[in-house]
Amino acid sequence: MSWFAAIWLPQFPLQAALRLRAEAWGEPMAVLDGTKEKGRVVERTDAAARCGVWPGMVPSQAIARCPALRLLPRCPAQEQQLTALLVETGFAFSSFVEATSAESCVLDLRPVKAGDWAHWAHGLVERCTAVELRAQVGLAPNPDLARLAAQRADPVLVVQHPGAFLADLVIAEIDAPAELIAILRDWGISHLGQLARLPRHELVERLGPAAGELWERATGRARRELRLARVPETFVETYEFEAPIETTEPLLFVLRRQLDQLTTRLRGAYRVAAQMTLTIPLDLRTGFHERVFSIPSPTADAEVLFRILNTHLESLRLDQQPIAVRLQIDPVVGEACQHQLFESALRDPNRFGETLGRLAALVGTENVGVVQLEDTHRADRFRLVSPEFGKTEEPAREEAEEHRTLGLPLRRFRPPFTAQVPLQHQVPAQVFSEKAYGEIIEAAGPYRSSGHWWDHGKWASEEWDVELSDGALYRLAKHDQTWFVEGCYQEGQP
Amino acid sequence: MPAAAKIISLAAFRETLRERFPEAVRAPERFWKTGWAALDAAGGLKQGAITELCSAPAQGGLFLDRMLAAISRTRSFAALVDCGGTFDPGSQEPTAFPRLLAILCATAQQGLQTTDLLLRDGNLPLILLDLQASSLRSLGRIPANTWHRFQRLAEKSGAVLVVLTPQPLVEAARVRITMDRRWTLEAMRRRRSELIDELNVQVHRRGRTAHPFTELCNHIA
Repeated sequence: MSWFAAIWLPQFPLQAALRLRAEAWGEPMAVLDGTKEKGRVVERTDAAARCGVWPGMVPSQAIARCPALRLLPRCPAQEQQLTALLVETGFAFSSFVEATSAESCVLDLRPVKAGDWAHWAHGLVERCTAVELRAQVGLAPNPDLARLAAQRADPVLVVQHPGAFLADLVIAEIDAPAELIAILRDWGISHLGQLARLPRHELVERLGPAAGELWERATGRARRELRLARVPETFVETYEFEAPIETTEPLLFVLRRQLDQLTTRLRGAYRVAAQMTLTIPLDLRTGFHERVFSIPSPTADAEVLFRILNTHLESLRLDQQPIAVRLQIDPVVGEACQHQLFESALRDPNRFGETLGRLAALVGTENVGVVQLEDTHRADRFRLVSPEFGKTEEPAREEAEEHRTLGLPLRRFRPPFTAQVPLQHQVPAQVFSEKAYGEIIEAAGPYRSSGHWWDHGKWASEEWDVELSDGALYRLAKHDQTWFVEGCYQEGQP
Repeated sequence: MPAAAKIISLAAFRETLRERFPEAVRAPERFWKTGWAALDAAGGLKQGAITELCSAPAQGGLFLDRMLAAISRTRSFAALVDCGGTFDPGSQEPTAFPRLLAILCATAQQGLQTTDLLLRDGNLPLILLDLQASSLRSLGRIPANTWHRFQRLAEKSGAVLVVLTPQPLVEAARVRITMDRRWTLEAMRRRRSELIDELNVQVHRRGRTAHPFTELCNHIA
């Protein structure tokens, strides 16, 4: 016999509104469907219920009953996320999951081998609790029955005998056409058990095929295929503050809780975070701050991820107050990496990523990185790009360029010093500049190069290596009829 | 008390001291081999310590050349903190570039802050702080405690910190290397390896100031 499990979230709008506020469940809180002026209470906490607050009340009535009552509007974005989280939790237990409604999902348990279904279902409830979902789980031989079982579970209900379970259920509890229910009520049939005792054939003859379908559900024989959901590709947590915040402490507090949740979810899906996107909507809804963090070494460690966010927020200055925070994680499958025998790796790539961020803030992004030479013969053309030390592959060994292995390395002046260089027989004879000054006793050159003559980036240069009378060795270069002292090989003796 | 019992209790006491004050226990000295015979003959670059290279910028450039070769050979990572931004990638072998984090700093002060961050990070086994392009005036303003702090950070991370200076500056340096040689323009046509062989390299090692508890442990031993 195949089995299905349904997960149902009671008080769904309240669960969405109080997500990541576990302490608020002990306080009198209510969720309104609509605005604070015109809305009505749709859900409330037990503390509010004890004060006499009931669904359907208008805010003034509810506050009259319970002056300490805090009213929250429904938050569609958080409700959507709660549904996504529910489905995602389902995927941790089965590959076949149907998002049946906003507050419930059904799992096909055919691939699951469990000896004790009740024990298995308690594991599912524990998993939901770990991600702050208050869930009820029902198991039954068909999807609709499982859903009904979940709604009656405390917190787990396994339906071994569908007929006995359904007999006591009121027909109105299952989704059935209203006119059909009205006719059956006129016949004096209010429970599914009474309906199941009627002969199916005659019921269909009198009330049509819908009645036959209802009869099959009443007897627990209805079968349907699940409309399977897709595995989530991102993990998101959103939190709206009750009022705009002024300091980073509440933001960090919420982010930490969000990360704890997200990493629990990541681990459940056997994934690690490869990228984080932090979005902070600002007051007056005029804009938002957004920052994408690439995780150097993908991880599901909340501590490491929080450190990355904390480092960013330490130096963040916003023009307006944040009213909410959204954290999205793009996951990847964790990869195991085996280094070569003599290969060394960074001890903590994520910490290194943070340090790079701090260095970039100190000296400028363009002044930190690994050297990437540009594909040109023009002198001093390179960029510093972000290092990927974790992915360093040994470049193909190329024959070293001769000029790189000859003579002394140059110490380059940035920017170069302009100079006056009188020539004698087309050879520099003297140099006059802020850096180098004196008679040239020997010169090697000219080393001419040019490029990009075919476009606006046309350039040409003439370089000389010179030795001054004090023993100093310099490189001179002429660009567009202007001489420069570009660098020094060896300083002169005083 | 029998002698054997006394020996056992002393061993236990030493173990307790080691556990309670791990920073005080002298770790075995380890050296980073550069592949440069003149340096490796003297042990190489000491890990967890500062090495100071006192030389003219020309010799400093040759030293960087050897270090880049060593990074390629050992397939390790390193950082070059270039105060003054005089490093010229065009005159160095590019093989080591993917393994070298270059930081171009405008001032010596910025270079020190950068080095501090890198030492605290503890990921890179070799950090080269090039101060040879900085003015003597700005170098003279560096407080001596900066070097002692760097020494402690290097000890903690086990990194090799090499400070390239134009004259002796780093009090806390455990090793000081001096290089001397002058060339004429003719040297620009010769192989760099020949020029390096001609360098007059001298390595001076200094003892470490023992931590009081290390002294106590050694005394008990």
